[in-house]
Amino acid sequence: MKIKNKFRYESRIPFFLVWKFLRHGNKWTFFLIVFLMSVSFVNLVFVNSLFNGIIKSSNDQIINTYTGNIMLAPNEGQEFFVDTSSIMSKISNVSEIEGKSSQLIIPASLKYKNKKGNWQILAIDPETEKSVTNISEKMIEGSYLSTDDNDGIIIGRQIAGGKDVEMNAFSFKGAKVGDKVTLAFDSISKDYTIRGIFYTKFINTDQRAFVTKKSVEELNALFKDKTNNIILKTSKNASEKKVINELKGENIDANFYTWDEVAGLMTTVAKSFLSINVLMTVVGIIIAAVTIFIVVYVDISNKKQEIGILRAIGIKPYIIRTNYVLQTIVYSFLGVIVGAGIFYLFLVPYFQHRPFELPIGDVVLAVDYFNLIIRGEAVILVGILSGLIPGFMVTRIKLLDAIWGR
Amino acid sequence: MNKKEVLISVKNISKIYELGEIKVKALDSVSLDIYKGDFLIIVGRNGSGKSTLLHQLGLLDKPNFGKIFLQGNEVINMKEKERTKLRLNFLGYIFQEYALIAELSALENVMLPAMMLTSYKSCKHKAKTLLKKVGLEKKSDNLSSQLSGGEQQKVAIARSLINDPMVIFADEPTANLDTVAAKEVLAIFKALNKEGHTIVMVTHEKEEEAYANRIIKLADGKII
Repeated sequence: MKIKNKFRYESRIPFFLVWKFLRHGNKWTFFLIVFLMSVSFVNLVFVNSLFNGIIKSSNDQIINTYTGNIMLAPNEGQEFFVDTSSIMSKISNVSEIEGKSSQLIIPASLKYKNKKGNWQILAIDPETEKSVTNISEKMIEGSYLSTDDNDGIIIGRQIAGGKDVEMNAFSFKGAKVGDKVTLAFDSISKDYTIRGIFYTKFINTDQRAFVTKKSVEELNALFKDKTNNIILKTSKNASEKKVINELKGENIDANFYTWDEVAGLMTTVAKSFLSINVLMTVVGIIIAAVTIFIVVYVDISNKKQEIGILRAIGIKPYIIRTNYVLQTIVYSFLGVIVGAGIFYLFLVPYFQHRPFELPIGDVVLAVDYFNLIIRGEAVILVGILSGLIPGFMVTRIKLLDAIWGR
Repeated sequence: MNKKEVLISVKNISKIYELGEIKVKALDSVSLDIYKGDFLIIVGRNGSGKSTLLHQLGLLDKPNFGKIFLQGNEVINMKEKERTKLRLNFLGYIFQEYALIAELSALENVMLPAMMLTSYKSCKHKAKTLLKKVGLEKKSDNLSSQLSGGEQQKVAIARSLINDPMVIFADEPTANLDTVAAKEVLAIFKALNKEGHTIVMVTHEKEEEAYANRIIKLADGKII
């Protein structure tokens, strides 16, 4: 018989057996193994997506409520940009910038009744600020500032305080819209009325207060056209580095930072989450590997007699092993599909409606398709090994022992 | 007198099972020749070594000592790969417990060994012919769980024939069958032997000895 034909005849047997075994084999065993594979896959994907969600939420919160995508700061030794209008005009020449806002940090304290604290108070143009941050959409009480508001202030929930507020001990412990707060710096002080309280769920932003530039410039003319930061929002898929290069090309005299360079502590936290994610993935794969191996091993061990019969009638051991490897590939492939179904049809929508509430904001599952595919492949690879190793073990035991199921 | 062709020659084989500290000699220097066309029945009491001898002849096990020649070729020291090839091409084996693959139909069980060697169409045709020969053509699509014990054993017989083996080994093939089914199975063996098939069968049913043209008796691992 020609070698080519021989191989052709032999190679179809594992596929033939897999089809028959799956069709006529024990359905409960089949469903149990597929379910186990799907749970292993969901576990791997869920943990990964949760950490991705935390990192994405953290990044989005920084960009959308704190720094924008790019922040411009004065050069070393300079406290302010003194020609803000000119810089803003130059920024307008750069493509892929969707919004820009200049911010003046006021070195002042806020006093409410007998409580006083030093929080970050920023003077902004409320309209341009809207083009970069989404604080205007996060008002839980009252309203956002209007550009010509001379004595209005909006404060973060962590400053207003109240029951269930995380930093209540260091807050005004229940300041309400309409209440007066006093802003004081140097020898100057001014009463502001709380127009609104915002709650971004990003604790750093919620410890900020905003007043209009107009009100501050009226308070002290020295602040006119001065800013400490200019924050920029870039278009969706723009490269921040590329935009910074364009800005530099406009001869803007400033330090340029991407949001992650400014984020500092949050970036460190995000990196830690990434490390934990990798660790959890490795642990998850090991647990999945051991569990899948045990179940497949038990399944194959229960088929010892069948394997013995196949060997006795002259079926080569490699064909028998291939059959079991193919079976586990089918199990794990179906497990990944079922797992992906459970994940996309139940878990993702569920957590979109009921996100995890963390100090960095609401966290939903963020699916990274590349990692999803990698984890699917990991489950299939583990399945292959789980079929191959017991397959080797069982086809190497003494033939009579196998036939008698010993 | 025509000299008979020796298919299998057994020279002084011994098989010792180790059960922990205890050593049991299941075969003790057994020698015999199996000739083409034999219907050889091996008889003996339980534990006499009948099945052990059949396992050595069928290349399912290896003796501790001695030699076995298959058409003049020594087979004990062959690699398992080679022994598997011999089992596939030259030997048919029928087990007491039928040993069918539960997930396959009667037809597929019969076809399976032939699928290693020939096209699907060809082995399906041959399997159908063999099932007809054993009277099971109408149950070819049944799974083994849908067949009686006698029917399962007939499927096992058909399977053992699919690759035109040189010798068919049957290990107490009627032990789990009722009288009627046992007679049917034995009739099939008799017919196969008449067609020229060489059959080696183990039994402890006295009346089955009548089907044989040679009988050897084992006691305590020795031919007596």
